[in-house]
This record gives sequence, C-alpha cells and structure tokens, in this order.
Amino acid sequence: MEERVSSGIYGFDEIIGGGFRERSINIISGGIGVGKTTFSLQFALYGLNRGKKVVFISFEMSEKQILRDCKQLGFEEIEDHLSAGNLKIVHIYGEDLMFPSLDILEIVRESHTDAEHQLIIIDPLTHYSMYLEDEKRKSLSSIFMNLREMGTSVITLEGGNGKEEANQSSIMPLYLADSVLHLDYLGFGELFDRTIRVVKHRGSKHGDGLYPYRIESGLGIIVISSESDIDKVTATYEFDKEFMTAIQHAGNIDQRLAKRIELLRHNWSHNESPEYILNLVMNDENR
Amino acid sequence: MYTQTFEEVLDDLYETEGIHVCILYRIDGTPIAVRTPHHTGVLEVMLWLEKQINNVLREINKEGLTATTFEFKDYQIFITLTSRSTVLVVIIDPEAHHQLISIEISRAKSIINKCVS
Repeated sequence: MEERVSSGIYGFDEIIGGGFRERSINIISGGIGVGKTTFSLQFALYGLNRGKKVVFISFEMSEKQILRDCKQLGFEEIEDHLSAGNLKIVHIYGEDLMFPSLDILEIVRESHTDAEHQLIIIDPLTHYSMYLEDEKRKSLSSIFMNLREMGTSVITLEGGNGKEEANQSSIMPLYLADSVLHLDYLGFGELFDRTIRVVKHRGSKHGDGLYPYRIESGLGIIVISSESDIDKVTATYEFDKEFMTAIQHAGNIDQRLAKRIELLRHNWSHNESPEYILNLVMNDENR
Repeated sequence: MYTQTFEEVLDDLYETEGIHVCILYRIDGTPIAVRTPHHTGVLEVMLWLEKQINNVLREINKEGLTATTFEFKDYQIFITLTSRSTVLVVIIDPEAHHQLISIEISRAKSIINKCVS
C-alpha cells in the first residue's frame, strides 16, 4: 500500500482515502476567509507533532503574523518547533523572486538539508503565478515535479472554484496538482455555510460530496461527514465471492488482468454487486 | 450527526412512490446530496434542471418565494426552500399521489431545516 500523509484536518483523511499521497502536490483553493491558511497550518502542526520537518513559504504573512494566528487557534507548540529548527518559515515578497521556480526550490532545498521527505507549504501561490509569463505551464510543471521529490506539499490558491472567470495563471496549478480541494464560505450561518469539496485526487479514491466544516478554536478545521459519506469511499469486501471467481478466470486469460481485478476488489465501495461489470470485462477481454 | 440525519430523510423521501429524484441543493446551486434512479429516463429533465437551477434559485431568492413547480409532459419538478441556504428539489411522476408527496416533502423540509439551521 502506498504511504499516505495525514492532512491533519479532523474528519477529512477518511474522505480522501487515508490522507494525501506521499510526495504529492495538493492545492487548497477558495476565496477570502475560507480557512486556507488555517488548513495549511493544521497540516504543518500535525506533521511537526509527529516528527516531520516543515517549510512554510509565505507570500503574504510575516513569521510574526503566522505565530500570532497560530496562538489564536491554540497551536502554541508551533513556537517550540520553530525554535527546535523543525519548522522554517520563509516570508518573501513575490517581487523579490528573481527566477520564481528556481528560487522557491532553493528555499525548500536549503530549509532542511537532512530531511529526505518534508512537508512543504506555499501560502498562497496566487501571487507567484502572476510572474509566470511565457512558459507558464512548463515552469510550474517543473517546480511541482521538483517539489514532489522533496516532499509532500500543500499549496493555497485564491479562487479556483471553476465557476468564476479565472485566468490561465490561476487555473493551471489546478491541472498540474495531484489533488485539488475547494473550500467555500457562503455566510448564511447554517451547516453548509463552510464546505469542502474534493475536486480531484489523482490515483486515489475520494468522496465526491460537499462536506460541511467548522473552524473551532483549539482544534482548527473539523470536517463533518456522515457514516454513509465514509462508506462511499471505504472498500466493502461484501462481494469477495464474485471477485475471487473473476480473478480466477482472469488469471487464465492474463495475469495482469487478474491483478487489475484484485485492485478493483480492494477499492470496491459500492453496495451493488460487481457482477455485471466483471462479466462485461471478461467478455471483452476474452475476445 | 446532522449530515447522517438529512441523508436518512432524503433516503426516506426517495422511497415514496412516484418520486424519481431527490436533490438537496445549496442556495448557490451546488448539490449537497443526490438520490437518482439507475435508469436513464429521467436524465433529460435532470440536465434541464442542472442548467436552470442557478436561475431558479436566484428568482426564488429575489422574489422571496418558498416553493415553485415546473410541469413537463412526463415529470413534475417541486422546488422547496428548506432553509436559508438549502433547497430541496423533487422530481415526480405527474400521476403520483400529490397530496401524499406534499406531506412527505413538508416532513423532509422540517427535518432538513432543523439539521442545517
């Protein structure tokens, strides 16, 4: 099984198949005040409290502001992690980056030279993406590729719900990222005021609902999901008999097919029998 | 938990005879929970709904409506405001028992309202 990195958000990992995929780029998009920075701080703190090294690149808030926000949220231990050198906060203005892709990678590389895998936070990318003019996609693709080698990243992005008229610079990171989570805040004072939606999560099963969340002092973001929400993304081994028969038959056709059906078995979360699909596959593969 | 309750309410409503589809929308047109049949007969009217829902919700908000109905040849669509930020959409068979369905919708509305408010 592939390693997962916890998002640190209460009630959320179950919805994304156990956490973020290791060495992935995860974008948290949303408007002003939805909790993007809180999300990234929670992700950082969860990792720090479990021995991870974190680098936080902030294009907006200074170290002092970040620490103040952490204290307000009740994340006081963040200061200890900073003193111990496990957390590096780099506050930089977008204008000061000479070669954005190279500079950002250099900051991450130099932050924890001893760490083989670190948690990387860029908050927010919006400012940075404005600087990419000609070879936007290539440049962003290259920085994401390098970030993957250095660890698991959470990158916040202003907007990006796909509804507004977004420009290329703000859409491109969504294409290139491994996962995109969209946070919304309506302001009606009801349960679905603040919601999180998994827009994509490459190579992983994830819930496709709209999940309400709250931001509570001392805890941060708490995602509220029902048992049926979790069931929808949790494998049910209810139909093992059908799967085992299919795997046996598939093995006679092609071992690779048997492996693929085995993978399907471990990811089958529907409460309907896979019989129809398995028959369809077997018939087509048998041709 | 709250979300479990309204999911159950939607399940119950969906089981009412004559109801083809139940969708709980947020007021911005984002579906929160959906109950649809496996058959594709109702697909066309659902696609129409998807295109119209934002405009309909805008009108509901603007005019201060609490409910509205659309009638097609084969289907009827009931749109009911369930709270300040949620709307329940039910697609029914025109020959279904309207009174029964109205009662069921009212019941669902009341529970959903308690859950989300």
